[in-house]
Amino acid sequence: MGIGMSEAKTKKENNPVAAFFGAIGNFFREFGEAVANGDGAVKASLIVMGAGYWKRKQIVKGFLVTLLEIAVILYNVLIGFPYIGQLGHLGTVEQAMIYNPETMKNEVNDYDNSLLILLFGVISLCVFVVAILLWMANVRNTYHLQKKAAAGKHINTFKEDLNSMINEKFHFTLLALPVLGIIVFNVMPLIVMICVAFTNYDQNHMPPAALFTWVGINNFKTLFTTSITATFGYTFWKILGWTLLWAVLATATTYIGGIILSLIINSKTTKLKKMWRTLFVASISVPQFVSLLLLRNFFANNGIANTFCSSIGLTDLLKNLGWITTEYIPFLTDPVWAKITIVVINIWVGVPYLMLIATGVLINIPEELKESAKIDGANAFQIFRKITMPYMLFITGPYLVTQFTANINNFNVIYLLTQDIYTTTNQKLAASQGKEIDLLVTWLYRLTSEQYNYKMAAVIGICVFVVCALVTLFAFNFLIKGDKEDTFR
Amino acid sequence: MTGSRKIIRTIIHHLILAILAVVWLVPIFWLVVTSFSGYDGMNTSRFFPATWSIRNYSRILFESDTVSQFPVWFKNTLIIAIFVCLISTCFVLMIAYVMSCMRFKGRKALMNIAVMLQLFPGFLSMIAIYFILKSINLTNSHIGMIFVYSGGAGLGYLVAKGFFDTIPTSLREAAYLEGASEARTFLTIVLPLSRPIIVYTVISSFLVPWTDFVFAKIILNSGISTDWTVAIGLYNMLNRTLIPTYFSRFCAGGVLVGIPIGILFVIMQKFYVEGITGGSVKG
Repeated sequence: MGIGMSEAKTKKENNPVAAFFGAIGNFFREFGEAVANGDGAVKASLIVMGAGYWKRKQIVKGFLVTLLEIAVILYNVLIGFPYIGQLGHLGTVEQAMIYNPETMKNEVNDYDNSLLILLFGVISLCVFVVAILLWMANVRNTYHLQKKAAAGKHINTFKEDLNSMINEKFHFTLLALPVLGIIVFNVMPLIVMICVAFTNYDQNHMPPAALFTWVGINNFKTLFTTSITATFGYTFWKILGWTLLWAVLATATTYIGGIILSLIINSKTTKLKKMWRTLFVASISVPQFVSLLLLRNFFANNGIANTFCSSIGLTDLLKNLGWITTEYIPFLTDPVWAKITIVVINIWVGVPYLMLIATGVLINIPEELKESAKIDGANAFQIFRKITMPYMLFITGPYLVTQFTANINNFNVIYLLTQDIYTTTNQKLAASQGKEIDLLVTWLYRLTSEQYNYKMAAVIGICVFVVCALVTLFAFNFLIKGDKEDTFR
Repeated sequence: MTGSRKIIRTIIHHLILAILAVVWLVPIFWLVVTSFSGYDGMNTSRFFPATWSIRNYSRILFESDTVSQFPVWFKNTLIIAIFVCLISTCFVLMIAYVMSCMRFKGRKALMNIAVMLQLFPGFLSMIAIYFILKSINLTNSHIGMIFVYSGGAGLGYLVAKGFFDTIPTSLREAAYLEGASEARTFLTIVLPLSRPIIVYTVISSFLVPWTDFVFAKIILNSGISTDWTVAIGLYNMLNRTLIPTYFSRFCAGGVLVGIPIGILFVIMQKFYVEGITGGSVKG
């Protein structure tokens, strides 16, 4: 606990952004100093990276570093630089059939693949930048060694170096693989897709048959303009509006529902608490793709829910009221009905989770707080409002924020419930492959899987990030303040 | 409050709970009864099937055709899940330990970057991952799927970190004083105390390949049903043209994967609550 507090304080005192750039500046200054003041060995390690280590009798380390250097140089010369060189235009030679006089046949020419150029160009560029940074760090390290030797301090043997990797430098050992995984499977792909947002990669420019190239911020302009031919602007605002409304509704309903359910289950009069809890958990333990697909058929136009509603006369009643015009209740096929059904089904999906969490929090509320309130004459409702609820909000606040962003990205509920079932009648939305019930993410998915419109999908992905980042920043800066930390301790 | 009013309140209380429980269990109940129905398609006119049989189970388990390859899907998913579970658990515990128990330059920065990365929608990177895997011929393969599910798994370290934060620092300090290395402390002091969070991480990462169908659908796109995982296989059965012949087999398959997953999930939920609330309480 003490550590967390002191960290929070230091974070407030020095701006993290300033600290970040300070660290970078420091790094470059030390590198310059090493080049200027280093002895022959340090200067030699500008070319042969191991030189500085060999001088200080760190033979194995010097050998390994030099080997790495050779590998990186070979990679860059053979694979990296050709790709990086083409990054500027993403390829110039389009695929074509050319007559080969030797084989007397038409053959595919030596064409450029824009996508591969982008992929490996970006990867090679990253490798190159990291290599340069490592090279600089290496020169700096050899200079540190020189200073150590001059001061007569002990210089680590290779064995001692290895030993430090499971001691004070253990974090390097532990982080190496997982962080590599995150870089390869998260950071690199993201950088590539962010780049795609600035190209014209779509169904008309599909490698290998065709090339695509940079188009600047044109795609962003498309997203925000509406004309007769392009309706992306119209669709974007409409879907963004529903996405935010959905996120608010879905988060609020499941949160409130979950708390109410857990209050009922955990009240003193309830018998067999554990059995009730397990019953509700059982409903969410079936994989979503099974339960949601099932519900989709349950609420289909000719589904069992409609049979039931018409047999008890509900369908006729709604028809007489003028709420529906069809012979069935369009649970998942009418824009308004579908939105309501989806939110209701999401309550079914989400409430048991929240019930579990709320139960955990309720059990943890310090009993003294409630007791002293009771002695002061508070009734059950006042205790709930003044103690239980603030405590719950305090503990689950960060969870609530992540829940909100998770709902913005809630692909499963929308996609599984409406794919293949819901068709839009709004021509403007249909022109840009949107539907009334789409969230930004499902729209993004549909654009890629059905239209191969990668450029707009990438732009939408960036927009989702911006929305989520704004929400998170706002929530953590204004709603969840650090100084509340000790209120309940 | 008089005694009789209290009894009435208790009865109302339980009545509400019972009604809610019924509402929550109706879809699951429908799944089970439909899986035992005597016909292939969906029953739209009545809740309980008119004829009962176990033919759906025998067909999905023993009579494979081009659409239904349940035993193969199950094997595929199991293989993927075992490897994902091993790799993800290691990655998550490693990062969580570093972020919780070690102090070094750039720790805060790394954690902030992790938060930022998670604000991007998952598919965005999945599109590029698909092309990367395709260029090295790993799409439509188990190895590719294992990479996809476990590669970035380290980002989900927060719950485990919350747990490690609750282990008293004094325990680790005592180990250092006795000359234990950082690695030894991690392996022999911290890990044995972390059984709940290890169970949680193992189960939750094991469940990923069973429940995900989006990423699997992007990477396993060959259209050959023997390549698929359970999720895409069952999803495909509800295709508009296939649903009349396969709906009740879908239900049988759903029950067959649902039961083991359900059991694991019920075991996990205890740790899920501890992870989310315990971590933030003791910070």
